[in-house]
Amino acid sequence: MLKIFLNTVFRKLYLQKGYSLINILGLATGITCSLLILLWVEYELSYDSFHENKNQIYSVYENQTYADGETFTTYSTPAPLAPKIKADISEIDKATRVTSTWGKLILTTEGSPYVEDAGLCVDTDFFKMFSFQLLYGDPNLMMPDDSSIVITEKISKKYFGENNPIGKTISINSTLNYQVSAVLKDSPKNSSFYFDFLLPFNFIKENWGFNLKNWDSHAFRTFILVKKKTYIPNLETTIKPYIKQSLENSNADLALQPFTDYHLHNISGKKLSPILYVRIFALVAFIILLIACFNYMNLSTARSERRAKEVAVRKVVGAHKRGLFALFMAESVFISLLAFGLAIVMVELLLPFFNELTQRDLSLRFSNPTLLLSFASIVLFTGFISGSYPALYLSSFKPIRILKGKLYRDSYLFRKLMVITQFTISIGLIICSSVIYRQLDYLQDKDIGYQKDNIIYIEMMDNSQENFSQLKDNLIKIPGVLKVTAADQMPINFSNSTPDVSWQGKLEETDNTLFQFSFVDSDFIETFEMEVIHGRAFSSDQNADSLKLIINEAAAAAMKMSYTIGQKIKILDYDCEVIGIVKDFNFNSLQIGVKPLIMLLTSDEFKYIAIRTDGDEQPIINKISETWKVHYPEIPFSHRLLRDDFSYLYKAETRLNSVFISFTLIAIIISSLGLFGLSSYIIEQKYKEMGIRKVFGAEFHHLFKSFLIRFLRWILFANLIAWPIAYYLMQWWLAGFAYRIHISAFEFIGAGLLSMIIAFITVFYQSYKISSITPLKSIRYE
Amino acid sequence: MIKTNNLMKKFRTDEVETTALNNVNLEINEGEFVAIMGPSGCGKSTLLNILGLLDNPTSGELFFNDSQVHGYNERQRTNLRKENIGFVFQSFNLIEELTVYENVELPLLYMKVSSSERKKRVNEALDRMKITHRAKHFPQQLSGGQQQRAAIARAVITNPKLILADEPTGNLDSANGEEVMNLLTQLNETGTTIVMVTHSPSDADRSHRIIQLFDGHIVTENMRQKL
Repeated sequence: MLKIFLNTVFRKLYLQKGYSLINILGLATGITCSLLILLWVEYELSYDSFHENKNQIYSVYENQTYADGETFTTYSTPAPLAPKIKADISEIDKATRVTSTWGKLILTTEGSPYVEDAGLCVDTDFFKMFSFQLLYGDPNLMMPDDSSIVITEKISKKYFGENNPIGKTISINSTLNYQVSAVLKDSPKNSSFYFDFLLPFNFIKENWGFNLKNWDSHAFRTFILVKKKTYIPNLETTIKPYIKQSLENSNADLALQPFTDYHLHNISGKKLSPILYVRIFALVAFIILLIACFNYMNLSTARSERRAKEVAVRKVVGAHKRGLFALFMAESVFISLLAFGLAIVMVELLLPFFNELTQRDLSLRFSNPTLLLSFASIVLFTGFISGSYPALYLSSFKPIRILKGKLYRDSYLFRKLMVITQFTISIGLIICSSVIYRQLDYLQDKDIGYQKDNIIYIEMMDNSQENFSQLKDNLIKIPGVLKVTAADQMPINFSNSTPDVSWQGKLEETDNTLFQFSFVDSDFIETFEMEVIHGRAFSSDQNADSLKLIINEAAAAAMKMSYTIGQKIKILDYDCEVIGIVKDFNFNSLQIGVKPLIMLLTSDEFKYIAIRTDGDEQPIINKISETWKVHYPEIPFSHRLLRDDFSYLYKAETRLNSVFISFTLIAIIISSLGLFGLSSYIIEQKYKEMGIRKVFGAEFHHLFKSFLIRFLRWILFANLIAWPIAYYLMQWWLAGFAYRIHISAFEFIGAGLLSMIIAFITVFYQSYKISSITPLKSIRYE
Repeated sequence: MIKTNNLMKKFRTDEVETTALNNVNLEINEGEFVAIMGPSGCGKSTLLNILGLLDNPTSGELFFNDSQVHGYNERQRTNLRKENIGFVFQSFNLIEELTVYENVELPLLYMKVSSSERKKRVNEALDRMKITHRAKHFPQQLSGGQQQRAAIARAVITNPKLILADEPTGNLDSANGEEVMNLLTQLNETGTTIVMVTHSPSDADRSHRIIQLFDGHIVTENMRQKL
């Protein structure tokens, strides 16, 4: 029976090669797309799932409330918080603080030094809470004391080759020595924590002199492991006032976020969170699979008349409707299986590009039971959905009618709706991609208020600061270097903030506006070409302008001063004077608006040197590197371009856009196949009618025009449905950006024209063919 | 009106060549009513289709009103057809999606006749065929006789000089067949040339001349006494 079935199916596929190819290719394309998205979604959802205790781990975060009613949400918490809540609250079993090493470090063993920047400082509970695989070392004594370092396999190989490095010494910045106490496997790519080495939390105090008892500085992430059966809402209530209890006048409340939400969910409640993109893509995958199924239905029913006789004969010789239904379903499941096989090959071929596009490391893992189950579901879903309508339709044919030569004509309304839906989706995707593209383009090119092009910057090690002015003098001599400055942060990521700012007339009781602040040197404003709108920039005489500061318009507005120059301002215990106001410029992702900013002139506290060049970067970078080596022979030179960092801010959106454009293309291809299928169907149905019309005087152009108008009318209709939906969706998406484009009619008219052109190309051949039939052939056609 | 010289028609498939018409020479004068008879497969319909410019002869000549038309291109053939020839088929060939009115109106649409003129002429034709009451119906809602009357209305709507009828009564019962033949006869009496393929001797009796075809040849031509 199976053999006969397979034989028949293969013979049918072979006899209608072109049709089979379109059908299987269409399905395979849809499945390929869904598989790729499925792999990506599965990967995103798998983040941090390898931690055994993942369901008991929570991240503690802060909600800071400000005078303007705005809430600032942050993972940054004070250093004493973790030990305090662990000691106080019985439901909390373990707690760890996690922070970066606050800058690049030079690690030295017996060999040459390396600059490393992927280190984390953690408490010892970290190892009992999170499940990173141990290669060497004692699982119970992962970080036995404050002079231990835990390294990953990668670092181990880099510094010690294949040897077991336990007990070996690594010196950091030539001042602190650490013994390797454990080696972990490299952190999995789907881990929220990425690190090459782990240092004791005390490193922050030892290297940076930071007071770990300070409740006032919010700079560390806090994670807790709660005991089983802990009622989280109660724990959250207990934990909420902990900062306020220890710090008078604090505006911060604490809250908990399940660690399983850490990767994909925003604590700030901002709507453009990663989980939203995961959901959008999952939906897109489903839709693409669905429109691929629509195609199968369309193409299969388009051929139904050719199969009508088969149905009739089978019925005459005893087949039941149910049996025929099962036969057709089996056929479509089989075809979807073939398409799936092809899709697997296509996925394998496309994965490298897709990984590049998504910056992920996805692979087809047939050992993963969840994925296998999903694969089986895709095959069955595709088979059943695409087979259902044709099977129902074909099996219901009445044999006597067919054998008498009567054709079945349905209103093909259902199929028309499918094609209109397909095009509605495609047109919607075209509009969305072009809006997203234009918005990202706008963000990248927007005048952000300072010079981001032609800026090279170097992160300095702590010991390089002493040499800074010498280095600066030498850098400025390099031909092509226009300006050199230094600061504790680059304007791309000003992140230090404080409400600890006082000025004359401030309502101390109620005003706790949060100010961003940065320590800069005298050339900062000029290097970045910021526009001074009141007062002046810093003078080159660093000492003359000591304790002078420049604020932005937003800060002036927050201080409610009409004329601010010469005002005395106290910030973080420094008594300073305002000498200028700069025009607002954007120092964060443009999703966020401009915040009040204070730039304070200092001669140290610098972490970065920024160099503005005349544009010819590579030779200048080489020269800078040479100069660097003269000053810091032991520190390898590395640099960044501000422009690249700026693009990086919109990485998620840029990626979204590339993926969106790819899927739009695929949706268009699949929809065109659908339209092709339906037009073939209609044309097959109209074959005789066209013959009659020709006998009675119709000419080629009459018929051709009427066909094109008929098909293009549907596309117009699809446009009318897609436009408002896409408009609404894109308005909603754009509302997530502080700076955004206005959606223009161009996107809609463009998508409309594009869809018309695509549809025209798709139906052109068929319409041409039928319009040029010889009437005799078609009227004989029965 | 129509003249053929050594008309040949061959059909080729990959392996077989069939001669459907073999050196057919005939002449049909304006106002004549000619019946073509012969057994199934003898080439009757093929001849009719060539006379109606629906098909091309393989060789030989075809003249219509003294013009040599066998070398016409598609456009010329269409123009000649829509201005001069009406068709009636055994299976009616009405378009199922169109109403009777719309079916009859169809040829006028392609002749760019004004809407008011079309209305007038369609109503006249429907009236003449006695199916005005069926104007808004679809073909499948009509009896066979009514469908063929609609088809004849469509054939005569352009006032053609020639009507080609391919077994016009073949799908009809005798009463309806009789009625259709009456209509064709009346048309002929008002001056329309009619060439009709038929199996029915009684239908052929209505014609002036019977051409007998056998295996693609004309075997006899019987002039009949005008009734």
